[in-house]
Amino acid sequence: MKEILTQEKSIYIQIAEMIENDILRDVILEEERAPSTNELAKLYVINPATAAKGINLLVDKGILYKKRGVGMFVESGAKERIKEGRKAEFYERFVKSLLKEAKSLGIGKAELIHMIEEER
Amino acid sequence: MSLELKNITKCYGKKTVLDDLELTLEEGKIYGLVGRNGAGKTTMLSIASAQNPATKGEVLLSGETIWENQKALDQICFSREIINEANNTTSALKVKEYLRMAGMLFPYWDKEMADRLVEEFELDEKQKLIKLSKGMQSMVTIIVALASKAKYTFLDEPAAGLDVVARENFYRILLDEYSESGRTFVISTHIIEEASDVFEEVLFLNKGKIMLKENTEELLSRCIHVSGRAEDVDEIAKGKKAFHPEKIGRSKGITLMLDKGEAFDKEGKDVEVSPLNLQDIFVALCGKEEKL
Repeated sequence: MKEILTQEKSIYIQIAEMIENDILRDVILEEERAPSTNELAKLYVINPATAAKGINLLVDKGILYKKRGVGMFVESGAKERIKEGRKAEFYERFVKSLLKEAKSLGIGKAELIHMIEEER
Repeated sequence: MSLELKNITKCYGKKTVLDDLELTLEEGKIYGLVGRNGAGKTTMLSIASAQNPATKGEVLLSGETIWENQKALDQICFSREIINEANNTTSALKVKEYLRMAGMLFPYWDKEMADRLVEEFELDEKQKLIKLSKGMQSMVTIIVALASKAKYTFLDEPAAGLDVVARENFYRILLDEYSESGRTFVISTHIIEEASDVFEEVLFLNKGKIMLKENTEELLSRCIHVSGRAEDVDEIAKGKKAFHPEKIGRSKGITLMLDKGEAFDKEGKDVEVSPLNLQDIFVALCGKEEKL
C-alpha cells in the first residue's frame, strides 16, 4: 500500500486506485480482507469519511464487499474486473492525451506508430 | 445534537470582529477553521464555548443556550493557548498541575489518555508551563483537548510551533480518537495544506462572517485553475465565479469556482485545466473577485 497522495486527483479516488493496484499486484488476494476505513484514515492521515468514500466506490464497482462485523473483503473475480475497467480508462487517459501531445508537437501518425514499435 | 451559532456579533469597542455570524456544527465531524490573522477565529471559538460573551446573538446546543448552562458546557471544550506572560497565574503552573486542573474542569476527563499522551509527546510533567517551548505548550493544549472527551472540542492553532513530525503525529492521534469516539472537532490552522485531508468540512472565516462552509472534497472538486490565451480564458470565465487573475503577456490564469454539480466545459478551447489545493483556494477567495 502506502503510495504518496497527490493533489492531482480526489483523495478518495486515489485511495480506491491504490487498493486496486494492490489487488492487481496480488498484495491483497481475492476473498482476503481489505484495509478498513480507520486503518486507511490513520495510514494516510485523512478523514475517515474520505477513506469510506473510496471504499464505497470499490463496493459499487463490485470489487469489495462487506462481511458483517468482520470488514471489507475482495470479491472473487475482482482482479479481472479491475483490468477490464482499467482498459476502458486506458484509451481516455493515455491514448487521447498521447495523441494530443503528439499533435501539438507535429508528430504524425506514422512516426508515432514507429516510436511504439521501436519501444521494447 | 448540534451546536448552533445564531446571529453572533462581537464588538470590541468600535471594532466589529464577528458580524452577524451564522454557523451550525453537526455532531461527528472534523471541521477545519481557516481565516486570516485577525479574522476572528479565536473570538468565535471562545464565544462558541461560552468563555466570552457575544455582543449580540446566542449559541445553542441541542436548542438550549450554553450560556451559564453547566449541562451544555460539560459537552464543550475549548483548549486555549497557554498565554505566556510573567504575571499570568496559569503559566507558573507545572504541566502536571495544569492537567490536574483540567481534570477537575472536564467531567469526562480521561486521565489514562492524558498520561499516555504526555509520554508520547515526551513532555516533562514537572516542568513549568512558562519554561516550555511554544511547540511543547501546543502539546499541552492538545492533551487537554483530547483527554477532555468533550463532545464538541475546539483547538486553536494546535499545530503552531510543532515540528513536522509532531504535527503528523498529532493528526494521527486526532484521527485515532475521532474514529473511536465520533466526537466533533473544530481545528483552526494556518498550515492548511497538510491538514486539509483530515478535515471533513472547511469553514472559511472572513470579515467576521463564515464565508464558506463546505465538504472539503466537494469544494476541491469544483475549484479549478484555467490558463491559456487571455481571450480564451476570459471567454470560458464569462458568467462564472472567477478569482485571482494572473496575467503575463498574452497568457492568463484564473481560478474558477463552479456551481455545485456544474460540469466544466472547455468550450473547445485549448486551455490548461489544473486542480487546486485548499490553500490555493483560500488565497484566491480572500483576494478580490474579478469583475468580468
